[in-house]
Amino acid sequence: MDGDSSTTDTTQLGITGEYMTGGTYVLQTQDDDGDESFNDHEDGNGGKEHFREQDIYLPIANVARIMKNAIPQTGKIAKDAKECVQECVSEFISFITSEASERCHQEKRKTINGEDILFAMSTLGFDMYVEPLKLYLQKFREAMKGEKGITPVTVSEGLGEELTDDSFTGQLPAGLITADGQQQNVMVYTTSYQQISGVQQIQFS
Amino acid sequence: MSEKNMEEKVEHATNSKNVSLPMSRVRLIMKSSPDVSCINQDALFLTTKATELFVQHLALSSYKNGSGKETNTLSYSDLANAAEEKETFQFLTDILPKKILARDYLKSLEEMKKDDDNL
Repeated sequence: MDGDSSTTDTTQLGITGEYMTGGTYVLQTQDDDGDESFNDHEDGNGGKEHFREQDIYLPIANVARIMKNAIPQTGKIAKDAKECVQECVSEFISFITSEASERCHQEKRKTINGEDILFAMSTLGFDMYVEPLKLYLQKFREAMKGEKGITPVTVSEGLGEELTDDSFTGQLPAGLITADGQQQNVMVYTTSYQQISGVQQIQFS
Repeated sequence: MSEKNMEEKVEHATNSKNVSLPMSRVRLIMKSSPDVSCINQDALFLTTKATELFVQHLALSSYKNGSGKETNTLSYSDLANAAEEKETFQFLTDILPKKILARDYLKSLEEMKKDDDNL
């Protein structure tokens, strides 16, 4: 399969690996069922083509999988039903977005935020989604915090929540300030971490 | 799909960041709306997650409501029926026209002509 050209396609379309799932989701570029094409209805669309806005769909395999998991296990889904839901989904996204966007404009804001989306859902008759979505958002934020280290003290990338001696194999970035709380108040690690007695665990105040 | 079912789904979510749809593609669709400039991270996540819920909702609702019960298959007409009958899905009626067999359409055209002739 010409997986290479489809990879190029996705790069040109600006779809890079910015998924949040850390590897559990991969943009399917090499599958046989033709998911690599941006518009799943047509075969092998060239990456350089300009896609009309009404042709932007989510990958049919993902949509079909969600549908399959929703209906009873013995149920089947007709192919035209899958394609149809694919289109409905794009319509749904546009529907919510334009409502949220309008509210934004009314309040003279430029960025659509989470509240706008939730409000739009409520207005458009999807208020049964709002509470579960808030819970999902909470979990999402917590997960993001742990990964990117958005804590009051600046932590460089790659450091986990709990720092132990074992986790330091290489160099610490310059300027990382730690406190051991025993004899000295502040220890500044500049280029390398050295085993210094008295430092049990690095704590961030 | 009841709210309670949804709550359960949220509780059972093992990977809290788990989204089954590509967020970058969702962003593209959002940006294709007129006058949309910036979308913040929360909004993008919420939209993606809501889309998943929507797919589940639409699929299950159509399946239960339609002929899927007998045939065990979710068909296009189940979706079209759901769009017409459920208020929540009415925004889809334009893109989910009910399909009609060509011969039925031609038949009804003929009958319309006959009515005109009779007037």
